[in-house]
Amino acid sequence: MFPLFKKSENKENKQQTNVDKVSIYKDIKKNEQYTKQLFSSDINKDFTFRTVTAKYCDKQVDMFFYSSIVNNEKIYKGIVRPLLEADGKTITDVITIESLTEIKDFDTVVNQINSGKAVIFIDDEDTAYSVNVADFQARTVQKPENERVVRGPKEAFTEGLGTNVSLIRKRFHNRNLIAETALVGERSQLEVSLMYVNDLVDKDILKNVKDRLENLSVDNISNVELLEQYLEERPYSLFPTILYTERPDYAAQFIEDGYIVLLMDNSSAALILPATFWSFFHSPEDRYSRFLFGNFTRILRMTAFAITILSSATYIAITNFHSEMIPPDLLLAITNSRERIPLPLFIEVIIMEIAFELIREAGIRVPNPLGPTIGIVGALILGQAAVEAGIISPIIVIVAALSGLTSFAISNTSLNTAVRISRFLFIFSASFFGMFSLVGALFLWVIYMASIKSFGVPYFSPLSPSFKSSGDMYFRNIIKHEMWRPGQIKPNNLQKKNIPNKGDSKP
Amino acid sequence: MKKQYYLFFIASLLFVLTGCYDRIELEQQAYVIAIGIDLTDKEEEKGVFKFTYQIANPEVGTTASGGGADEPARETVTLKGSDLMSATTTANAFVSKELKLDHTKVIVISEEFARTGEFLRVLQTAGRTTQLRGGVQILVSKENAKDFLNNNKPIMEKRPHKYYQLMLNRATEVGIIPDANIHRFFQITEGDADLYLAPYATTEIEEPKEYEGEENFIAGNVPQEGGSQSQFMGSAVFKEGQMIDILNGAETRVAATLDNTVELTSVFSTYQDPIKPEYQIAGSFIKKQNTSVEIDYKKNGTTTIDVKVPFQMEIFAIPSLVNYSQNMKNQDLLKKSIEEQLTSFAEDLIKKSQEEYGSDPFYWSLYVRDHFKTIKEYEDADWNKKIFPNADINITYELERLEFGKMINDTNLNEVRD
Repeated sequence: MFPLFKKSENKENKQQTNVDKVSIYKDIKKNEQYTKQLFSSDINKDFTFRTVTAKYCDKQVDMFFYSSIVNNEKIYKGIVRPLLEADGKTITDVITIESLTEIKDFDTVVNQINSGKAVIFIDDEDTAYSVNVADFQARTVQKPENERVVRGPKEAFTEGLGTNVSLIRKRFHNRNLIAETALVGERSQLEVSLMYVNDLVDKDILKNVKDRLENLSVDNISNVELLEQYLEERPYSLFPTILYTERPDYAAQFIEDGYIVLLMDNSSAALILPATFWSFFHSPEDRYSRFLFGNFTRILRMTAFAITILSSATYIAITNFHSEMIPPDLLLAITNSRERIPLPLFIEVIIMEIAFELIREAGIRVPNPLGPTIGIVGALILGQAAVEAGIISPIIVIVAALSGLTSFAISNTSLNTAVRISRFLFIFSASFFGMFSLVGALFLWVIYMASIKSFGVPYFSPLSPSFKSSGDMYFRNIIKHEMWRPGQIKPNNLQKKNIPNKGDSKP
Repeated sequence: MKKQYYLFFIASLLFVLTGCYDRIELEQQAYVIAIGIDLTDKEEEKGVFKFTYQIANPEVGTTASGGGADEPARETVTLKGSDLMSATTTANAFVSKELKLDHTKVIVISEEFARTGEFLRVLQTAGRTTQLRGGVQILVSKENAKDFLNNNKPIMEKRPHKYYQLMLNRATEVGIIPDANIHRFFQITEGDADLYLAPYATTEIEEPKEYEGEENFIAGNVPQEGGSQSQFMGSAVFKEGQMIDILNGAETRVAATLDNTVELTSVFSTYQDPIKPEYQIAGSFIKKQNTSVEIDYKKNGTTTIDVKVPFQMEIFAIPSLVNYSQNMKNQDLLKKSIEEQLTSFAEDLIKKSQEEYGSDPFYWSLYVRDHFKTIKEYEDADWNKKIFPNADINITYELERLEFGKMINDTNLNEVRD
């Protein structure tokens, strides 16, 4: 059944953009007219055009830019004033701002202006120049909202590509850390920054990613959340195959191990690939906490994982099919609470589970000032009142609350949703034949998970199939003892540089 | 692709259409906690028995919301039938829910019925059905099982399953009744050697027996004032599935000390004071090691069985105030006296089982089995008729450690009363 969900390979050839390129004219009037026409300057109010006479060559110079996405002061100090006042032979002597690019055709002109640059035409020259004066509005670096830690850095990615790259570079000083750029989108071309360590990353995976980025034929991909959906192999799949994080420190950790990180403007998050089950299961704090506590939270998370996917389903299976498994005290207590309930147990569980999901969904969407009320109203109405009205038995409230609460222990938002959906699958399967069908469904679930690959890397690796790795799966090792990079992504240099001193660490 | 979709759809229909085959809601079931089996009053009704089902009322004794506080904690129904399982459906003529034997704790059979030997036939169901567990305890009641279940009204534990669970566990721990589940019943009965001991209980309290020591009683004659009406004490002896005799509490306990297959924790008991025989010494009998049973099997001669029971003793009352704790001479005397008392008691029981029963309630046939190469050889040797009744049995109790509690000295009577 699973190939059913696999997206058929996109064999479509890349659209050839062989439209004849219009090169820059020598006549500045023509250039001016053509550019204005391209940007519909008569109705496009923030498209700005200025003409000055340059002092160094005594020629007319035209300047085009979007006033809303450039830094006006920079234009004045970096372009206008030098042109009016400075002497020199060529324009490079006059405009000394950090980047000055020569342009030969109008396609590039359009691109440059769109990405916040000012384009300069000089009379009698068939070369235009673009100057980087971009100043897109973005938030400052703030705390992560969804992946909080107690111990550890508290910076999150923000919606500016430059800031995001800088946040990663800040954490990994190495000349081999590459921030390569690819353009995606046909109508609105946006930059995607691929960050990786050149001498670690597996070239096959890198090529695979680049190919996929190039082969995207789409009008516009404005952020990494959308990019993730264009890149993944199985869009119908329950499980995520690309790790999404808003923490630059977590992304930097992966880069160090040879993974690839994708960044974009307009997203306060990064995509990390290839991703395995473990990368979703772990939290950055597992490493920041000391060895024992880090592993203690792992145990908690594993327990929570089991409880959240199985508690409601097991409850249905046991009470509906295997009442002999329940100790008599509990059995009589449950029976008593169910004596006056009009609904079958399965419906009861479904009602409560849906109610819990509703509270959660409402909690996210509700306007801020109303936030606290939702929690109180939800807990009160759905819990207390439903029990008192005799619609729900009190034990169901415990079971549903438990399975709902434990689902928060899976901090990764992508895996979290997968787990929540799986829970409903298991609830349904348990209601068919009890434990028998529940275990069957669990088997299929695990088999399916094991069959997934993320950019060629098996989902459960390095556990199965086994690879040399730091052993960071169920539990993590003492950091000093981590000798290997994850073998499943085939890093060029498998061994880390920390060879533990024998007898260095005492229990 | 389309074909796959159809296949997938049809396959998932299979689940939906067959689903919920076994499903039953909890409140649609009645949980039978105790089953009673009696003979019917009429003699000609062969193969027909009287079954009593005691059903727990889930609404009593739970703190969960819901009424039913004035309802009784149990419903006891009696009806005639030919076997345990089919009688449950007949019972639905007057019980509103499906009777489930999954949570049954105990099967009570009347002494009268047990002595007929028909019990084995009725219990065969337990081997076939998935409902009746192997761990269900078998209880022999002096009166009719029906009366026992009806009269048994515990005061503290209103919920019947709790009562049987606690009552049987504790009484088994201290050894006054044996641990007797269905599984063991079949094991011993089908092994065709050894005797099976089942707890003996009653709610009919007779004239109490004269006081003869802490546990020389059987159920019904334990002097008791106040408390619940039912007594569990002693054991019914089953030979080949048929009840033949009753052992009192003390004998039951001795049998337990000699049997390695039962767990005995610590047993409080009294022994005669060797220096001042009018007083008793109280102590806790602790068995930490297995009894060693060595059988020297001789095919044509007398088999000798050497039994050694290592045990420890913690003395907690010496009413005679004799200094046993520090005077080594006295201590040796006490040690020897306790060993002798236990040994003589055990010898009496062994003699009784050799002469009266012709088999042993200690499950000792286990130790003779390794003398035979085939089952047939073993069966021909016949433990019950040939080996055990004629065997020469030497039994010794070995006191390995004697403790005197947390205080070594007793009150010096001369100093107090000067």
